[in-house]
Amino acid sequence: MRFAVDTGGTFTDLVIEDSKGKLHIFKSPTTPNNPVKGILSAFDKASEYFSISTFDLLSKGEFLLHGTTRATNAIVTSGTAKTAFLTTLGHPDILVLREGGRTDPFNFSVPFPQPYIPRSLTFEVTERISAQGKIITPLSKNSLQKVISFIKKKEIESIAVCLLWSTVNPIHEKRIGKILDIELPKIPFTLSHELNPVLREYRRASSTCIDASLKPLMTEYILNLQDNLKERGFQGRMLMLTSKGGVMDYKEIAEAPIHTVGSGPAMAPIAGRYFAKIDSKSSTAIIADTGGTTYDVSLVRNGEIPMTPETWLGEKYQGNILGFSSVDVKSIGAGGGSIAWVDEGGLLHVGPKSAGANPGPACYGKGGIFPTVTDACLILGYIDADYFLGGKMKLDFSKARKSINEHICKPLKIKLNEGAKAILHLATENMVSAIEEITVHQGIDPRNSVLIGGGGAAGLNSVAIARRLGCKELIIPETGSVLSATGAIMSELHADFRALFFTSSNNFDFKGAQRTLKKLKIKAEKFIKGTAESHLDYKIEFWVEARYKSQVWEIDLPITKNLLKTKQSVEKFRKDFDKSHENIFAFSDPNSPIEFIGWRSTVNCKIRSRPIGKIKEHKFSKSHISKQRKAFFDKKGLLQVQVIKLEDIMKNHTVKGPAIIESPFTTIVLDIGSKAIRTNRASLKINF
Amino acid sequence: MKIRNEKKINIKKFDPLTLAVLSKRFEAVTSKMANTLLRTGRSGVLNLARDFSTSIITNDCFLLTGAESLPIHHLSGADLMAKSLLEMHPKLKRGDAFLHNSPYHGCSHPADHTILVPVIDEKGKHHFTVWVKAHQADCGNGQPTTYMGHARDVYEEGALIFPPTKVQENFKDIEDIIRLCRMRIRVPEQWHGDYLAMIGAARIGEREIIEISKEYGWKTLHKFTDEWFNYSEKRMISAIKKLPTGSSQAKSTHDPVPGTPKNGIEVKVKVKIDSKNAMIDVDLKDNPDVMPCGLNLSEGCARTGAMIGIFNSIQDSVPTNAGSFRRIRVHIREGCVVGGGKHPVSMSVATTNLADRVTNPVQRAFSKIKDGIGLAECGAIFPASMGVVSGLDPRNNNEPFVNHLFLMVTGGAAAAKTDSWLTILHAGNSGMCFVDSIELDELHFPILVKTRKLVSDSEGAGRTIGSPSGYCEYSPIGGGDIEVAYVSDGAFNPAKGTLGGLHGAASKNYLLKKNGQKEKLPACADIILKDGETIASYCTGGGGYGYPWDRPVEKVQKDVIEKWISRRRAKEIYGVVLNNKFEIDFIKTEKNRKKLSLKKH
Repeated sequence: MRFAVDTGGTFTDLVIEDSKGKLHIFKSPTTPNNPVKGILSAFDKASEYFSISTFDLLSKGEFLLHGTTRATNAIVTSGTAKTAFLTTLGHPDILVLREGGRTDPFNFSVPFPQPYIPRSLTFEVTERISAQGKIITPLSKNSLQKVISFIKKKEIESIAVCLLWSTVNPIHEKRIGKILDIELPKIPFTLSHELNPVLREYRRASSTCIDASLKPLMTEYILNLQDNLKERGFQGRMLMLTSKGGVMDYKEIAEAPIHTVGSGPAMAPIAGRYFAKIDSKSSTAIIADTGGTTYDVSLVRNGEIPMTPETWLGEKYQGNILGFSSVDVKSIGAGGGSIAWVDEGGLLHVGPKSAGANPGPACYGKGGIFPTVTDACLILGYIDADYFLGGKMKLDFSKARKSINEHICKPLKIKLNEGAKAILHLATENMVSAIEEITVHQGIDPRNSVLIGGGGAAGLNSVAIARRLGCKELIIPETGSVLSATGAIMSELHADFRALFFTSSNNFDFKGAQRTLKKLKIKAEKFIKGTAESHLDYKIEFWVEARYKSQVWEIDLPITKNLLKTKQSVEKFRKDFDKSHENIFAFSDPNSPIEFIGWRSTVNCKIRSRPIGKIKEHKFSKSHISKQRKAFFDKKGLLQVQVIKLEDIMKNHTVKGPAIIESPFTTIVLDIGSKAIRTNRASLKINF
Repeated sequence: MKIRNEKKINIKKFDPLTLAVLSKRFEAVTSKMANTLLRTGRSGVLNLARDFSTSIITNDCFLLTGAESLPIHHLSGADLMAKSLLEMHPKLKRGDAFLHNSPYHGCSHPADHTILVPVIDEKGKHHFTVWVKAHQADCGNGQPTTYMGHARDVYEEGALIFPPTKVQENFKDIEDIIRLCRMRIRVPEQWHGDYLAMIGAARIGEREIIEISKEYGWKTLHKFTDEWFNYSEKRMISAIKKLPTGSSQAKSTHDPVPGTPKNGIEVKVKVKIDSKNAMIDVDLKDNPDVMPCGLNLSEGCARTGAMIGIFNSIQDSVPTNAGSFRRIRVHIREGCVVGGGKHPVSMSVATTNLADRVTNPVQRAFSKIKDGIGLAECGAIFPASMGVVSGLDPRNNNEPFVNHLFLMVTGGAAAAKTDSWLTILHAGNSGMCFVDSIELDELHFPILVKTRKLVSDSEGAGRTIGSPSGYCEYSPIGGGDIEVAYVSDGAFNPAKGTLGGLHGAASKNYLLKKNGQKEKLPACADIILKDGETIASYCTGGGGYGYPWDRPVEKVQKDVIEKWISRRRAKEIYGVVLNNKFEIDFIKTEKNRKKLSLKKH
């Protein structure tokens, strides 16, 4: 058996692929204070379903693939550790100055961003290394001791160390690491040359600080989860999802938790690409994943999942740079739990604040008083109070009504249904503009793509969104409510190793290049042996980042067969480089020497042999489902409409709107004029 | 300036989505061109600092878009350059490319080499012109700097001037021109690499526009430009209507350099807002005649200088193109120091120094019309932290190098409701350039950057604050000497605050000698920095907006905690009294603030 667990802001999704390849979905509310609890309770639900003990269920697992928004949420909500930043004397403002840059030269309403670590927690250490790796100023233990005593006083929880040129000569960073181990054994730290050995001090410092600030929270969480699972019978391999859309061993992630930032949403396009192809024969798709807290949008363009080399948490030049490339995902604070509110000027807003899972929407009856999108959908008749999550959670209609009346209808002087409709309408508009940002704003016409609706709340307004954007069609995959976890189950094991080594085509250092490649090969092989032994097949590839002399940005090119061992192979590489440069930038410069800088090895291990299976039908009592319900539709008002169970819709069968389709995990509202057809792959394909 | 008038369009109106998609699509073309230049440029001024712009001009010479471009490079100028191209080369062919850097024909200044490529369909019809402008590391001046502030005229300046000159035919270089440049531009390999990058960027733009035309057809694209201009004008009208009718004057003074009067150059601007008719006028005519120095403004820079001040001051973000420009009139006088000089007047430094002295009083004049709009003044450049360094690299077989550093620059002006954007660089740049990575500078040039940090207690105090000054020190490394050239304004005339806001920090430059002596350097210098010597440079800060004692106390408290200002300054300037735990003493603060405000009135 394989498990994929995706801990979102509101729900924890568990997908189990059984030994026959069938999929099973379980959902449980996320428990933000102790997310392990939410995961275990999802497994309890599964064991109940399979009628075996949780121990027996867990012990059958060979893999557990886990993604979590914990790191992302911690950054967004400023819930990261109090972190000190140690840097070279004379350069305390690396995080303040960043690399400059601005997107909107005439807009003076946007304030200059705050540094990731405040100036008051930034400390200079006396030391300096030159670009050639020579020690110009030796590390002063004295200055370090002063910093350490400050750190002790200020109750610092984590430390980031990024010194100039530590990538060329890490001696001072290593030394500081050793001293910190001795002097502050309980405080975790990150050294920049170990985490992300790239040129450009701001990028490296930003990676290092983000990573360090996540360590206390994430390391404890990951190790705790592993212990808990092991205790409860799990003997398989725990792998964590990464922002690159791959997975890594949990131990490595515990050492470098930055890789989990944005990891959940990075998986959705992997699943999205699969369904777009199989259900719609389309290679261009917009993947929208509606969680309880965030709305994540990503793209598949000509079958490729676009990666971004510059990942910013927040807006470009205003947020913080991750320093690693990652899957391009746009996230906004909009979901089922998004809170609706009216400002002093009488303008209605939805989000970005979310009621989360706790207390959750007002209708959960867990103490939430503010109206959310979910409350609005309940009022509008889209959600069945008795059949939420397959009837596992009863919703309180009167609490939803009270909350919308009090917070929205009263100040706006409108009726209940109008208030609820306005909330959903505004949520739809917010989502549309998020999609426009990754399509229209990049010159991509959404009318040529198919929309993949994922996430538990997707069905409520995906038809409205697709219509508003003029998309070709909307696909709601059978596993759409757990799109990220589905993507995780499909993903490969991936690792990426990097080294800096400078040489030029003018005077190519064959020995140095071979030495560097060998080191990278050893790392890759170690990964395969140590962390990926249950693979079916693997592939190691080598890459080098090269450029024309005195350029500063490189092109990433694969190194082919004989690995630059001979003059001829260097010559061949040079020709490939010229060609590639011409393709990307419309010119080449065959007379210029080529410089080789960053070297990489990548490992991809295949861990699955068969295509992803279908969902095994769940056994729920049919009595809960009313065949008809009153629901609110635009222009027509309240209508008595058909309520159809998803599992009752046969292959190639069509349902016409207005109608509501329900499954234990999602509700799909079919507007007037739209029609849904069940595809061979059990998805719903909706046209309008 | 010719105004492109609203055309009557009889065809069915564009649907809003196509309008949005196409506008973003054209913007994406300029971004892609910019990306090409950044990724492939050879000199630091391109690949580190991003001192370049890309835009698209219609076939009747109107600016369509310059997304992600430096304001001073393109608002006015791209249109003038395209026009001069058509005048001199009325028959354009596919595969042509032109080099243009003549400030006498619309270019900003001679260091801004520009490649223009006409986008021509299969039938030979010209539809758009793509435009790539990049500040060169060197342009063949008499001295190794692209800013010859003291040059009496273009002959002393020494730059190679190219009125629109054909450099490619049938997509192939015209080698005569390339050879000419190689003979007269320092570090010719670097120049040639940058030239290739510019050509590449322009060809990418050409390729992309042809792609769009295949999808939509040329006719639709031209309809789109009309619609887009109309839309932009509408946005500008509604933005101006939100402003009050009124007029105001303001002045700003450039420090003296050789060739200017001994008190420098005072620039006067008159700003008039006509809210009812949605027009803004800026008058620059009442200013001195051209001077025997390199500070004179080209026509493009004079107009753009004023336009930046306007767009900085209106609250909505209106698209900047020929459509919104219909609502602006900039009045200039030919032969005026801020009006576009005639050959052979030198305009070597036209994009920065005096252009900023046009922008700054314009945005300040807006604030004088109404509290809540406009900005204080941005800081001036170039201190030595942004000098042009050159010499031989002893670490690299004494290979020659020349480059414009962007090590430390702040200078942001306080806005009505927002503190300054720290890395604004200068008014004409508006923060679009990057700040150099120290590691990349040290890798590429034989320098060691000993210090780069912000200076406490140097902000332009106010209700909202101007950027603090930045400090940096660098030395030659590897045993050789380096030459450093800079033209530093803002030593005597720091950025003014507005409506009670204080002025920003002044620039200062020093030479730290081997024996530890500290020697003050002049505002405009070209010096040889020897092994063991260090240059120490303070950049200008920006001015504040509103009285400092109106700044929210919690903000002042945070400024102290985060070491931007001292407790003493919090008390003396902002009237905020904090104890040694940085807690606010509200009673004393209120008293103190009252006292400060009474003293002022």
